[in-house]
Amino acid sequence: MKRIIGLRGVASALLAVSSVGLFSTTVLGASSSSAASSTFVIGTVNSVQKIDPDVVTNFLDFEALGLIYQTLVQENANLQIVPDLATSWAFSNGNRTLTLQLRQNVKFDDGNTMTSADVVASLNRAEATATADPSASFIGSVTNIAASGPNTVVLTMSHADVSVLEGLATVNMAIMPASAISAGTIATAPDGTGPFQYSAWVPSTSFTLTANPNYWGGKPALSTVELETIPSEQSISSALQAGTIQMGLLSEPTVVSTLPKTDPVQKVMDLSYRALQLQDKKGILSNVDARLAIACATNRKQILQDAVFGQGKIVGPVPLGPYATSPVSAICPTQNLKLAKAYLKKAGKPKGFSFTAITSTDLDSTSADQAVAMQSELAKVGITMHISNLASNAYIQDWLKGKFQAAFAENGADPDPYVMYGRYFGAGADLGVPAGYSSKTLQTELLAGDENSTAAGQKADWQKLNNTLTSNAVWIWLFDSYDFAALSPTVKGFTLSPVNTTQLSSLANTSIS
Amino acid sequence: MTFFLAVVRRTLSTLVTLFGVSIIIFVVLRLLPGNAVTAAMGVSEGLLTKGQVAALDRYYGVGQPVIQQYWSWLHSLLQGNLGISLASREPVSTLIGTALPVTLELALFAMVIGIGIGVGFGVWSALHPGRWQDDIGQGISVIGLAIPTFILGTVLVVFLSTKFHYFPSSLPFVGFFTNPWLNFQQIIFPALVLSLGIGAAILRTTRAAVLEVYNLNFARTALGKGVSRRAFIWRHLFLNALTAVTTMSGIQLGYLLGGTVIIEQIFILPGMGRLLITSIANRDFPVVQSVVLIFAAGFVIVNMLVDLFYTVIDPRTRPR
Repeated sequence: MKRIIGLRGVASALLAVSSVGLFSTTVLGASSSSAASSTFVIGTVNSVQKIDPDVVTNFLDFEALGLIYQTLVQENANLQIVPDLATSWAFSNGNRTLTLQLRQNVKFDDGNTMTSADVVASLNRAEATATADPSASFIGSVTNIAASGPNTVVLTMSHADVSVLEGLATVNMAIMPASAISAGTIATAPDGTGPFQYSAWVPSTSFTLTANPNYWGGKPALSTVELETIPSEQSISSALQAGTIQMGLLSEPTVVSTLPKTDPVQKVMDLSYRALQLQDKKGILSNVDARLAIACATNRKQILQDAVFGQGKIVGPVPLGPYATSPVSAICPTQNLKLAKAYLKKAGKPKGFSFTAITSTDLDSTSADQAVAMQSELAKVGITMHISNLASNAYIQDWLKGKFQAAFAENGADPDPYVMYGRYFGAGADLGVPAGYSSKTLQTELLAGDENSTAAGQKADWQKLNNTLTSNAVWIWLFDSYDFAALSPTVKGFTLSPVNTTQLSSLANTSIS
Repeated sequence: MTFFLAVVRRTLSTLVTLFGVSIIIFVVLRLLPGNAVTAAMGVSEGLLTKGQVAALDRYYGVGQPVIQQYWSWLHSLLQGNLGISLASREPVSTLIGTALPVTLELALFAMVIGIGIGVGFGVWSALHPGRWQDDIGQGISVIGLAIPTFILGTVLVVFLSTKFHYFPSSLPFVGFFTNPWLNFQQIIFPALVLSLGIGAAILRTTRAAVLEVYNLNFARTALGKGVSRRAFIWRHLFLNALTAVTTMSGIQLGYLLGGTVIIEQIFILPGMGRLLITSIANRDFPVVQSVVLIFAAGFVIVNMLVDLFYTVIDPRTRPR
């Protein structure tokens, strides 16, 4: 025994270190919970990338800045346009002029009252080329933005464009003080009118907000909100169970299923959709019958099950909102192998054909599962789909240049089909190259829907568009999945919004019991 | 004087190595598809006009020729300026200044525990070859080498959070001088996970080295002359086995810096590993270049110190 006394010392020290850590579980269990109770911490795998609302593209940036900044109008839970900083609006001059009445007694974080001059400066900044606002094209028809009194703003459009309202609802069109714009401080010091104020930002780690005492809707109950970046959803689940965060934003059904029943989970349909985009301009996929064979051989139900364990909904081109596609496809809304074979015969390829589809699990973790499921279904009619999984930046570059035959994509959606598809299939569309397909019919239908200001008229126009897209198998629309918010049982009043960019908006009415 | 010359020679070769690393990492990063604009905008880049893309290129400085970018970076680097993060617009030195202490603390804890496990059980095993003590030591080394750290880390996090509602690393990280107790709890578990692999490698090396020395003539002579057991183990066996143990510890410390990348992700520690992963995803070249260079410098410097340490522990390796 004596001879190993030195070694015993080392072993004892190691055991002591381990024991101290484990023993402390009981001690820190309480301290971590109490530390968290004064701050509402949200765990998310993403991190805030930029704090200039006019240039953000990352969903979390939208969500975080959507708590600081507000827009003239917004989308509610039913995806309808409702007032925000504009209390009312009216189209005139054949839908070429939009007049907005502004909410009064709204203060920016710097204490100044919002006026029409701030709105004009904000929208002009969004439209300016130097800003590089990715949503600028949504108000591309606006040729003039003018104040008409301290609380009225008039937008003049080059053509009838009722979809401009949808364009104004994005955080990329946030209203900010004219003084901050001219001082050039927007990219470093957020200054908005929303329920929370910017407090601190540690890149890749956390983003902290404090309650805005001057918020026109009343000071929020939560004094501090912190968005904490937790790199894996499993770790978010662990942090929630440890009580160190009050809410976890999740997208993986497998992780959600491991949460204890005591932690309530809210889920909403994500305002996006998964589709297999096809490059229809060359090769076998330029043959509409070959594309229709793919559409009919596709088993969307199986893909939904394999990719997200059935946690979603099969959708057509317009996944949600008043113009949601129903049925999901004009041709083969469900798998029809007999018809698929008939289309193959018509395409002159009775034994099938092959093509390659790109995926990126970096961008959409489910894309490879979707591809494998689809691959086995297509094989039933002799269509061979090769899969090429790419890193995110490689995928993006190939996608933007249209350097693919087919691409599994997760695209952002909008209740307004013109906003969704004008950029892909409209005349001179920005994303015409990756869209791969263009036709005069589609352009005409998009324009007709955009110019039509009656609900019934628009519904008919958008149904035509749905039919054109699916009966030509322009792309193969697959499904929309759920977003999840796992909550601590102490959280009251939070409702996860279906609008991706403002999913956290109800934090203004949330409290911790 | 000869020792001084050896230090100078090693320092110069270290600088040449780091210069080579800087070129390699610079070129490799530029070979990756995409740039900071692609990473920042994603597919939304397609929605921008040519004028808007040009404005972003200027903003991110991605339009300059590669050689010009390299010299500009190297010039700034030599002046102590690591540049500005393309993603956050924060100085890279600020980001690294926040992340580096976390990683160093984690590496230090892991190394101390790993050496403790490795040396302690390695010597213990070697003193009882073929007996149950040796079986325990060998078992620990096999387990440590066989279980990947990311699996052990994940299992530990899930176990602690579900069974004990305990996951201190998910609280905002606090520095040692701000709250030593919470800091200890945040660091100890990831350090334990990291240390197991390190300890296993050192354990095997220590056991083999001690066994080898144990059978040499001078060791038997020392025992025959009646040297106490403790003095025999530590002064005669361990000191003579120390060269091999030092080599392995140095190598492990170098790998440890890379190993923290995964562990920091699992335990949510805001260290260099997380900074590196996020920056690669964002094509934030100034940050990636600096972080990789620091990792490389750490590896090279540790090995240089190990080489110099040989001259302290083994007089035969001193320059003549």
